[in-house]
Amino acid sequence: MAPYDDWNKTEDDEEEEMQDASLFEGKHDVILFCIDCSPSMLQMREDERYEDTKTCNLMISLEASMQIMKRKVLVGPNDAVGIMLFNTTRRNESGQAGADIKKGTFVYQPIATIDAPKVMELVQLLDEARESPDMLKETFPPMTDARVPIGDVFTSCNWVMRDGAPKTATKRIFFITDEDNPHPGASGTRLITSARTTLIDLMQAGVTVEPFFISTDEKPFDPTKFYASVLLPTNITDLDDVTDDGPAPILPESISITRMEELLAQMRFHEVPKRALFSVPFTLAPGFTIGIKGYGLITEQKKGTYRYFADRGDKVEPVVSRTAYVDEDRDAEVDKTEILYGMDLGAPSGDAEDEEEAKELEVGTRTVALGSKVFYTAEDVRNFRTLGLEPGLKLLGFKDRSELAFEDNVKHSIFIYPDEMSFSGSKRTFTALLRTMIKKKKIAIVLALTRRNASPIFCAMLPQAEKVDESGWREPPGFHLIPLPFADDIRAAPVLKGFRASDELKEAAAKWINKLKVKNGSYPPDSYPNPALAYHNAQLEASAFREDFDPEAFEDLTLPKHDMMHKRAGQLMHEWKEVLLEDETANVIAAPTAGRKRKADTEEAAIDEDEIRRLHDKGQLHKLRVEDLKHFLKSKSEPVSGKKGELIQRVEDWLDAHPRV
Amino acid sequence: MPAERAGYTVTMFLVDVSPSMGKMRQVSVSGKDGTTSDTIEMTNLEWSLQYVMLKIQEMIFNGRKTDKCGVILFGSEETNNIINDENGGYEHVSEYIPIAQPNATTLAKLQALEPSTVTGDPIDALIVAIETQDRFLNKKRTWTRKIYLLTDGENPIELEDWEATAKKMNSLDIQLAVIGVDFDDDSLKEEDKSKIKRANETFYHTLVSKLDHGAVGNCDYVLQEVSRPDVREVKSTLSGTVLRIGDTDNRPKEAIEIMVKTSKCTALARPKSFKKFARRRRTAAADEEAAKDKMDVDGDEDKTTFAQLRMRSEYYLEEDKAGSVKPEGSVAGSVNGDADGADGQDKRLVKVEKEELVRGYKYGASFVPAPEDDFARLPTRKGMDICGFFPQKNFRRELAMGEVYYVWADPASPMQQVALSSIVQAMNDGEVAAIARWVKTDKGDPRMGVLWPSVFDDIDCFLWVQMPFADDVRNFPFASLEMLINKKGEVVKEHPYLPTNEQMDAMERFVDAMDLMDAGEKDEDGNRQPWFDTRLSYNPAIHRTKQALFHAAVVQDLNTHPLPPPHEELTNYFEPPRRVLKRARAAIEECKRVFNVREVPKKVARVRKDEHVRAHDEDEDMLLLDRQSNRAGPSQSQRATQSGAFTQTQKTSPTRAQKKPAVNDSDSSETEPEPDEEEEELLLNSGARKPERAAPPLPTPARSMSPDSRIDRNRAPGRIVGFTYPLRDFKKNIERGDVVTKAVEDLAFVIKEVIVRPFSPRRFDEMIECMHELRKVCLEEDEIDAWNIFVRELKHTCLETEPGNEQFWEKVRGIGRPLSFISQPEAAKAGGKSAITESEAQKFIQD
Repeated sequence: MAPYDDWNKTEDDEEEEMQDASLFEGKHDVILFCIDCSPSMLQMREDERYEDTKTCNLMISLEASMQIMKRKVLVGPNDAVGIMLFNTTRRNESGQAGADIKKGTFVYQPIATIDAPKVMELVQLLDEARESPDMLKETFPPMTDARVPIGDVFTSCNWVMRDGAPKTATKRIFFITDEDNPHPGASGTRLITSARTTLIDLMQAGVTVEPFFISTDEKPFDPTKFYASVLLPTNITDLDDVTDDGPAPILPESISITRMEELLAQMRFHEVPKRALFSVPFTLAPGFTIGIKGYGLITEQKKGTYRYFADRGDKVEPVVSRTAYVDEDRDAEVDKTEILYGMDLGAPSGDAEDEEEAKELEVGTRTVALGSKVFYTAEDVRNFRTLGLEPGLKLLGFKDRSELAFEDNVKHSIFIYPDEMSFSGSKRTFTALLRTMIKKKKIAIVLALTRRNASPIFCAMLPQAEKVDESGWREPPGFHLIPLPFADDIRAAPVLKGFRASDELKEAAAKWINKLKVKNGSYPPDSYPNPALAYHNAQLEASAFREDFDPEAFEDLTLPKHDMMHKRAGQLMHEWKEVLLEDETANVIAAPTAGRKRKADTEEAAIDEDEIRRLHDKGQLHKLRVEDLKHFLKSKSEPVSGKKGELIQRVEDWLDAHPRV
Repeated sequence: MPAERAGYTVTMFLVDVSPSMGKMRQVSVSGKDGTTSDTIEMTNLEWSLQYVMLKIQEMIFNGRKTDKCGVILFGSEETNNIINDENGGYEHVSEYIPIAQPNATTLAKLQALEPSTVTGDPIDALIVAIETQDRFLNKKRTWTRKIYLLTDGENPIELEDWEATAKKMNSLDIQLAVIGVDFDDDSLKEEDKSKIKRANETFYHTLVSKLDHGAVGNCDYVLQEVSRPDVREVKSTLSGTVLRIGDTDNRPKEAIEIMVKTSKCTALARPKSFKKFARRRRTAAADEEAAKDKMDVDGDEDKTTFAQLRMRSEYYLEEDKAGSVKPEGSVAGSVNGDADGADGQDKRLVKVEKEELVRGYKYGASFVPAPEDDFARLPTRKGMDICGFFPQKNFRRELAMGEVYYVWADPASPMQQVALSSIVQAMNDGEVAAIARWVKTDKGDPRMGVLWPSVFDDIDCFLWVQMPFADDVRNFPFASLEMLINKKGEVVKEHPYLPTNEQMDAMERFVDAMDLMDAGEKDEDGNRQPWFDTRLSYNPAIHRTKQALFHAAVVQDLNTHPLPPPHEELTNYFEPPRRVLKRARAAIEECKRVFNVREVPKKVARVRKDEHVRAHDEDEDMLLLDRQSNRAGPSQSQRATQSGAFTQTQKTSPTRAQKKPAVNDSDSSETEPEPDEEEEELLLNSGARKPERAAPPLPTPARSMSPDSRIDRNRAPGRIVGFTYPLRDFKKNIERGDVVTKAVEDLAFVIKEVIVRPFSPRRFDEMIECMHELRKVCLEEDEIDAWNIFVRELKHTCLETEPGNEQFWEKVRGIGRPLSFISQPEAAKAGGKSAITESEAQKFIQD
């Protein structure tokens, strides 16, 4: 979590409202996988997924790390990852990264931006380990006699982070272990204290620890034995409050206790660091304000854009780009702070009598008396956008849930969760509001200015109740902030009249629709990975590993399941088509024009499809005029560009693909 | 009126420049902060010309060659018009700007207009305009002809033969608008106006009543109307595609294919962008040229030229100081997205030409060359495929990702219309929605979405909205708000995080009271409608930006002619309706009491003394960032005001700032940075609690430098406003209400003291902010004289005493009118009195 308020920064970019995604790109994410290497983690057993192969917890952990790396490198090419093992006797050699860290810990990969060789190294290690089961044990000999104090592990993490992570990055440690009580016995208390102290050090360095505890039936993981007293809630209000006699301390939010097989799934949950888009006050009424944070739970994931590189002979280096603003006539670059804002001066008029004056008035300049102000400063411009409002949400009132129409949408929603850190009492107030709105089936209308350089928008606030399923909190409690369109965003319907279906046809349609309906279904985002993005990334990855990309192996999961559809409803669809062909209204010849038709369309009766088919059968399509061909193609939503030959070809293609019914 | 064809218009502006137009008037403009209002003075001519210029600016903005205008003056000293040239007569009417497409010069010419010493006849001008326009258009009958006549109606009109003129105008289909200065309209009736004006007004009304297209308007009203948000109705273009159900390639007998057209239903509109400009510095060559020009252009050195800037991209390679390029992937972040990375101290930037660059992708730190035509695209086929149906009630509204589209059946084909209609109606009856995959062009990227049936009065169609792919959804973990578990693993039932029954009751009453379903206007049957309608909610940024752009283009100086306030329609929905707030008052008070929400003072991370490894703290970066933004200007003052507004909310916990050792003590004493805002806040807190401890151990050496820093909050004896946080102290005292006069006096004292101290430039912005606040309070609390005396003294202190501070006064002068005297009109508005006239106030600050 960002330890300070993102919205408090003034962005440099006054010109365009920032896209949400760029907020994420701006910050690097650093993950250090910190994996237990004790004998139990190295215990080989049958792999449930593949026959005749053996695996162990360490191997699965490394594999999960590798998968996360592969995913991260595509989402955030600047993100960095490292791998550290503990409870191993292997030491880093002096001079190497990690040489000076605590005994019992070993840096396998120091923190660095993910790159292809690094991923390959891990892939090879895993391949070898699968071949020879003892390989991991030999490479990373476990400590058999004792365990490293967890405090030492955290200290080593701190040092590794310090050496490799950039200052501004989000820094996280994915801490994987299967031992719920590493320090039983008399020294336990002391070691708890030291673990805690070192963890606080980590937190103060801006590092969060996200534990993944592995639990098995034989060896269930009980966090209260050791870790409950070590780990801190991520949203601690005051470090000193975290004492045992504090007001009912609450467990940290992000503990995952998981079975080994679900480790990757759990990690993917945490793959992107949870960062708030904004943290602002929410004014419910004058003098009644709580704190909230906004999260982008839905953000369009786009393909990475290409970058420019310089070929320096021996290697290829990325270049950085910089935008400068220049007075072209003078070829002088202008400092950002001196830039003023105003209206495009436009080209001088072409009228003859003005020519002289136009010359006098140099193109692209405006001359005024000394001391006059005719342009705005960046602050002025921002004020025009915000109308002097401060960032925050302001409640305007409540409406029935049914008032929020399907078409009241322009962009993705933002999730709102209370922020106890900025206003104490936010959580109880927020929860009370949430419960009440769910009970009364209400939405709220709010005025929102989410960042200082954004502009105010109206939003509907849709409550979401907390829903639990086996794997944890599936649907978090909170509000979805749905931006409403302004009058300026609403387009009028261009078509106002049309022929309508008879009841008979409607019922025929209802039959197959019913067959194709998923009773308790909804739109399932998880079932639809973005095929274009995956296709692109697969090629990128293949290219990075110098492998061949096989387009045949690629599966597009978004394609409709045709076989099932036809099996279920094919016959009914066919019946509907027959009713349609018989339908009286459908066979009206002259279409009532919807007002906006060009002359060419109406001037002459178009040659109908039957006639065209007849000509096609005789191979006489060339007898048609270009207009007729175009008209036909247009009615089939086909492109109408190109020469006559191309048009004929296109008509033929279409007719071949659509045989007479 | 039927829809007008854009462009193909000649507009004539007839401007009355008679001496009476030189009368001064008060015009309200928006104040410094953009929300309050101020008044300035200008002549009626200047004022009514604003309308002409805004109209012309709109034409320039649209940039149509077929949108032309001309300006004719009446009451001008000279006579210069085509009728006079040929037939004589028509005195004191002159064609000032010939008909042409307007540009910046047109505006400059209008700005130069001054009232004359003679009067002219509006009907003469009208006849000249009709003739000039007609000759220009010659045979072009299809063009729209418009005439705007601007006058104060104070001068005699020759009422002869006007019927013939009206007839002529009708025959040419001319639209006439008479814009009158202080003419009566529905909302305004001025009682004490001259007889002649009253008669003239009556005449203009008679005149337009005889016209097919004519209107009389009040100048005040039309000026407001130009800033009214207008939504240009955009009808989206229809683009053709195919709606498919089933496998049309292999099972055409069963598969369904409907020809459809899509168009946008909502489309995010953005504010117009500003262009960038910068003051042009004089070069030696330019000076020379200016010297040459001096012969014909007087006083050129008193001018400033601003040049429009263009964007230029430059590319750099990062190198170590040593000269070698950093090895790949050695340290995270070595590959940096932008050049302004703060960690570039020991790096050198080497410029490279774009032509030498190759395109590629980053796979982490690895380089992947982009193939010639980029990577292969997913082979897809244009069209919209239905993947299945699901009940509408299961639709998750919050997943909708973007703009909404209409999907229509081909408007030219009854068959397609009937087909689509049957599906829409069946889905509507069955309350189902469809999952649909849409590919806009062949090889285009597929998008997933939901098709929603929509039944209009005369047509059925679908609405489509994009839904997220698996990749687009982030499943961040959030803690439960209802289930709290303590460290022993037990569920906690009572906790400050959980609302009590009393709190729940209060919230319920609050939600009921704040209901908007009956808070709107009444309909025809007298039933109250819901309040808030998207169709009446204008994007304030778009319209305010446009207004600002236009305004800056038509005035000569924004200091003397600030932007008028935003049109009230823009901020219509900025506050809950009054009715509702009134109804909810009791519920709000109760909520405030039972929920007892308090602002938490911001924290600064503690630095541990015993820490052997001092890891870099992110908060230090924040300090850097903040300092940067302070330099950028606005945020500091804004934040200060914001936190000022919160001072009444009680702080919950004492912070640990008192215990905190100074951060980077050694550096800061050297650089004396502006204290960070958070520290300020802490400082205040500790100060309020433990005044005696406040000063010495604090991490903000900058201000404790001043001589009496050890005294409580740095107050001079007997003063209630201290030197350290004058604005905060002031606001606190004003809130108390009973010490206003004393607080005003003391803040004035502090400002005058601070600016003559050494290092005062550091506090200029803060002092200016204090002045704004002081003036505001003086105006509101009837301390107007105190303010007027203060600014006079301040000017004196700055300019005429030793050491003085001319620099500071320059700054005040730069702000201008908003910090000058409070004038009588201003005072009257706030219900007070002032002995100072508006022009005195203007003059005082400009001298």
